[in-house]
Amino acid sequence: MRAAQEDWSQRSRELGQLLSQSALGDRSAFKRLYELSSGHLFAVLLRIQRDRSVAEDLLQEVYISAWKAAGSFDAQQAQPLTWLTHIARNKAIDSLRRAKSQPRLESMHRDDDDDDRPDAVERLADDAPGPVALLERASDARQLGQCMQGLSASQRQSVALAFFDGLSHAEVAERLRQPLGTVKSWVRRALMTLKTCLQRASERDASFDSAEA
Amino acid sequence: MDYANKSLADALAAQYVAGTLRGPARRRFETLLPGHPGLRLAVAMWQQRLMPLTAVVVDEPPPAGAWPAIARRLWPEAQAPAALPWWRGLAFWQGASGLAGAAALGLALLLANPRPDAPPVVLVLQGTEAGGPGMASIVASVSGDGRAMVTRPIQPVAMAADRVLELWAVPPAGAPRSLGLISAAGATVIRRDRLPAALLDQRNTAALAVSVEPPGGSPTGAPTGPVVFAGKLQL
Repeated sequence: MRAAQEDWSQRSRELGQLLSQSALGDRSAFKRLYELSSGHLFAVLLRIQRDRSVAEDLLQEVYISAWKAAGSFDAQQAQPLTWLTHIARNKAIDSLRRAKSQPRLESMHRDDDDDDRPDAVERLADDAPGPVALLERASDARQLGQCMQGLSASQRQSVALAFFDGLSHAEVAERLRQPLGTVKSWVRRALMTLKTCLQRASERDASFDSAEA
Repeated sequence: MDYANKSLADALAAQYVAGTLRGPARRRFETLLPGHPGLRLAVAMWQQRLMPLTAVVVDEPPPAGAWPAIARRLWPEAQAPAALPWWRGLAFWQGASGLAGAAALGLALLLANPRPDAPPVVLVLQGTEAGGPGMASIVASVSGDGRAMVTRPIQPVAMAADRVLELWAVPPAGAPRSLGLISAAGATVIRRDRLPAALLDQRNTAALAVSVEPPGGSPTGAPTGPVVFAGKLQL
């Protein structure tokens, strides 16, 4: 099985060329960029912004921003897919801020006693994995795997809910029935543990990657 | 809050990228980003760490109408058959034309004995938005037969020590072609063997563009950094 991070780099390489052509005004390159990346970005948007029609509007805004900012994309600084995903996540998180009154938390409950809530489940693809399952799947990636082992279960759960589903600290705290301060420190420590671990791992892999390139 | 504090900046960048920095704090952080290179770097590092996590989210094809809607919003004029890239748009050139006149006067000093039947061509490559404010422009002077070219920034361009400027010939369709590296401070004579045979034919060249690249030029053969100057070929 191909590690997720290598796959990520591979997809990014394909997109890099299209993005630089887009920066020079090449519309057909931009359309191709859309074709190759919109499925991913739409999925990322939908996990955070569960209202499908809002997510569709956001997707349009993501690509309009990307076209306008393509000239300032610096391939030395970021991978194209990373750049695009960040734009999408930002738009999704900002859209939650605008629609604060909209109830969201119930939509991700898929506990055993959740069967009587078809409206929430219907909005997801039937087999959409929960955020923690996603994080476990992400652990298949070469470097992330060991790093995830360094996190406690509650740290993993908090990070997964916040990162994949765009829950705020307060929302994570409500979900996990934990004090806000506890959740904040779980998330903070989880991120720092990941950082330290990934840094060590990438130093270890540096020679491998350069040989591969 | 002291954003110069490195570990605090890193912690904020982490929360920003992870999505847990919310509300006014998130907005304040975003306003600060453009002016704080250290903060931007921290954000870039966190994006690099966390975004690959999203690779496990299964693709969800957007509805078929999404792309046409994007295209309509980006290029409302595109109903016309010939779609024009931004650097061929009118507004872009309205600003450039004034400078072009001034630059043409200086051309006689740069190029000796132009052939009488093929007058030399001057292109003004205007600073783009990507280059930020303070990017004046670069003048590219091409001999009438298209066999010699000199570039010169009107003002020296401030560059990071580990970055260079690369000049590209942009065809009406297809990938740009590198014409080599150019000086950010003074005149550069483009190597003759780098110039395509019919550079001044609009069927071959629609525009010239300058991008920011690592030392030695683009490693990929296509522009990898931001395009900071661009100018349309007008004959």
